[in-house]
Amino acid sequence: MGGVLILGIETATAQVSVAIGGHEGVLGLFEVCRGRRHAETLIPAIEFVCRQAEIDLDEISAVAVDVGPGLVTGMRVGLAAGKAIAQARRVPMIGISSLDLLAFPLRHGGRPVAAIIDARKGEVFWACYLPVPGGVQRISEPAVGSIDDLVADLMARGNDMLFVGDGALRYREQLAEWLRGDFAEQFLAHPSSAPLVQLAHAKALREEWVNPWEIQPLYLRAPDAEINWSTRRTAAGTGGA
Amino acid sequence: MTMSADAAPTASVGSSKVVLVDSSTVVLGIETSCDETAAALVMGGDDVLSSVVSTQVDLHAQYGGVVPEIASRAHLELLNPIIARAIVEAGVPEQRIDAVACTVGPGLIGALLVGVSAAKALALVWDVPFIGVNHHEAHLYSAFLEDPTLEFPLVALIVSGGHTMLIEMQGHGRYRLLGRTIDDAAGEAFDKVARFLDLGYPGGPAIDRVALHGDPEAIRFPRAMLHDGLDFSFSGVKTSVINHVRKHPDVSAADVAASFQAAVVDVLVAKARRAADQVGAKGLVLGGGVAANSLLREQFLAACVDDGRHGFLPSRAMCTDNAAMIASAGWHRLRSDGPTPLDAGAVPNLRLDFLP
Ligand SMILES: [Zn+2]
Repeated sequence: MGGVLILGIETATAQVSVAIGGHEGVLGLFEVCRGRRHAETLIPAIEFVCRQAEIDLDEISAVAVDVGPGLVTGMRVGLAAGKAIAQARRVPMIGISSLDLLAFPLRHGGRPVAAIIDARKGEVFWACYLPVPGGVQRISEPAVGSIDDLVADLMARGNDMLFVGDGALRYREQLAEWLRGDFAEQFLAHPSSAPLVQLAHAKALREEWVNPWEIQPLYLRAPDAEINWSTRRTAAGTGGA
Repeated sequence: MTMSADAAPTASVGSSKVVLVDSSTVVLGIETSCDETAAALVMGGDDVLSSVVSTQVDLHAQYGGVVPEIASRAHLELLNPIIARAIVEAGVPEQRIDAVACTVGPGLIGALLVGVSAAKALALVWDVPFIGVNHHEAHLYSAFLEDPTLEFPLVALIVSGGHTMLIEMQGHGRYRLLGRTIDDAAGEAFDKVARFLDLGYPGGPAIDRVALHGDPEAIRFPRAMLHDGLDFSFSGVKTSVINHVRKHPDVSAADVAASFQAAVVDVLVAKARRAADQVGAKGLVLGGGVAANSLLREQFLAACVDDGRHGFLPSRAMCTDNAAMIASAGWHRLRSDGPTPLDAGAVPNLRLDFLP
């Protein structure tokens, strides 16, 4: 197989998504959305996609990962696995934001796009995009905040928008009450590794990649510093010494 | 890989490869269950080729305990360079790694998942077995790493921030639980008393340090359940420390620390000794983070000498979490049970399998 081959790993929301592809497009894709089984599902999914697409992991030229924002536990499963594969194969990595991945499939909608991810705890991650030739352009920094913060931000933009993401679906009523726009299909509500491979391929051709140890997760939130004594008790911690 | 004379059991990986587990088998161990990020290469179950540990204790000190989200973020950042260093320091090519072992529990879920995901990914890329390791079992195996002459049956006293257990090891993978704490773990009592006395975190080393300047007989704190079975209780001694200091605010912190430490160590050593007598143990092994405590080490060894029993004290580096013990336990598990499937996850409250 000639050209650049990208392994795409996407675990930033409830979905686990793995794709492999290059200049011919996406050659293999696996997706499952049954929540909280990222660690169990991801590695068998990579093995399955590669085997069925008849691609050996030796052949990949870069590993693309969703760097968030998203649900940290799942996100770190993908990042840890992706970094390990890239390190062992000695190939570079390409990190792409979950919000970019949500907006990209809506580039032909002719309207601004608001990508909104459910951040739990009554909050959302979001960013806004404009369709441009060949893709979308982000016009706001990725943000985290309450639904009121989101509505206020989008109202200030005053446009007829396309809303996409599991956050958009979860808070559909509040958004519809205050804003004009339409909601993207449910099957577009989770970032997918198909656009991840597609966007990463373009970046790989421009050699816009980083070393595995340079990849930076986009947490957007400071760590919750509350110490959970009950989880600590089950941990084989060395707190005693 | 060479064939061994004693026809060691084989382990199959997917459909492609058969691994013979013998004295030349090199296991990469990975440990991320709490606040240490560690990787190690161990050959044949007990030959440590490299062991790299990065402790995050400074990141958590200001909070007085391990903050799960901070630990998980640090593991993700540190793990790759630490694995790379373990391979370089071992001085063997990556192709020599025959299996990847990783702690799957118990521990903090977000922290465990970083190691498990990386370990399974490496096993997939290198086409070698993945082995999920129980962190407690690994602590037991840290003794064999340093003293391969240990013989079964053994009694192990495991004392850490999370656990206080007396375990009989009848053979590899054959354990019986003889006693455990019914409330606080010993290490937890150290942490809480240290915090109450304003000695800092982690509590174990802090109390150890201060106690050197105190009189262990200044205050007679209770030795709970001393003559009563093999279970432990440490919440009472913690409470009486607090009550004593409230009643005597001018008391010397060094005396309190020394007296508290003496009370805890008395109970730990007396019960370990009794357990060893009960099962006719050939050896007595100390493990877990609190095994670094000076007084416990001293009295534990003295008791073994008195009883004419083979006593084992881990080096201080082996008391704390490390990946050499994970690789060692992984080698034994691979030999007895074969590889762990790649769809295994992390199990935050994983227990040791005890014989009835
Ligand atoms: Zn431990």
